Amino acid sequence: MKTAIVLIIAVIAQAAGNTCLSKGMKALASTGEGADSLSLSLLVHAMGSPMIWLGTLLLIVFFVFFAVALSWADLSFVLPATSFGYILNVALAHKVLGEPVSSIRWAGTVLIFLGVILVSRSGSAGIEQAHHPAVESTETKA
Amino acid sequence: MMTAVMIVIIVLSNAAGDVFITKGMKEIGEVSTLNPRELLRIGLRVITNKSFILGILSLAVSFFSFLAVLSWADMSFIVPATSIFYVVSILGAKFILKEEVSRLRWAGTLLVCLGVALICLP
Repeated sequence: MKTAIVLIIAVIAQAAGNTCLSKGMKALASTGEGADSLSLSLLVHAMGSPMIWLGTLLLIVFFVFFAVALSWADLSFVLPATSFGYILNVALAHKVLGEPVSSIRWAGTVLIFLGVILVSRSGSAGIEQAHHPAVESTETKA
Repeated sequence: MMTAVMIVIIVLSNAAGDVFITKGMKEIGEVSTLNPRELLRIGLRVITNKSFILGILSLAVSFFSFLAVLSWADMSFIVPATSIFYVVSILGAKFILKEEVSRLRWAGTLLVCLGVALICLP
């Protein structure tokens, strides 16, 4: 339960952070200030954008929660589980940024969703499984 | 050719970064307090942990290689190509961190990897 709460916060922060960064960088590009390439002037302009600061802050929040979850849960659980963020990212890109989402992208989203469900059914830690032999044996059958 | 080399670097450094961060956090032990002073103490131990620092450096290498390769290659090609890092990380979790990876978890990870590849196609 604790793992679920921490990971949900991480995933929401990551998706919101990426959306803010994208919004901020697109806004820079539309003002046409050295936005066509990765340059020092682009970096300087990016530092002046509150949207980009907000995005960066949210990504730091993501990373802290990600690391906290790893202090007790398996990497092989946390990593696929946080990929749920991709789904939120696609949804936010569609709703907030108004990006078109092709059917192949929606198909990818469904695959990620299924993958996350499978991984979350495997339990968050190997140690937990060892404490519950019943759970482990049903898994090996599955 | 240069792109292929960069993809390998991105995948390996990303996976290595996650493995080292996990190793560092496991050395710190379970974070199960909400007491601010206690959290600050844990935070200080985390940022001075060798594995954790190594993990951050690896992730930085991965991130800047990613930015660099984006300057000449399409993101819609690079992200699907690097999504294999999920599988490499799980291999790291299994063989370096000695995690038990059930078949269910493997299946889920492969689906995620495929899904990430698909959403990044145009």
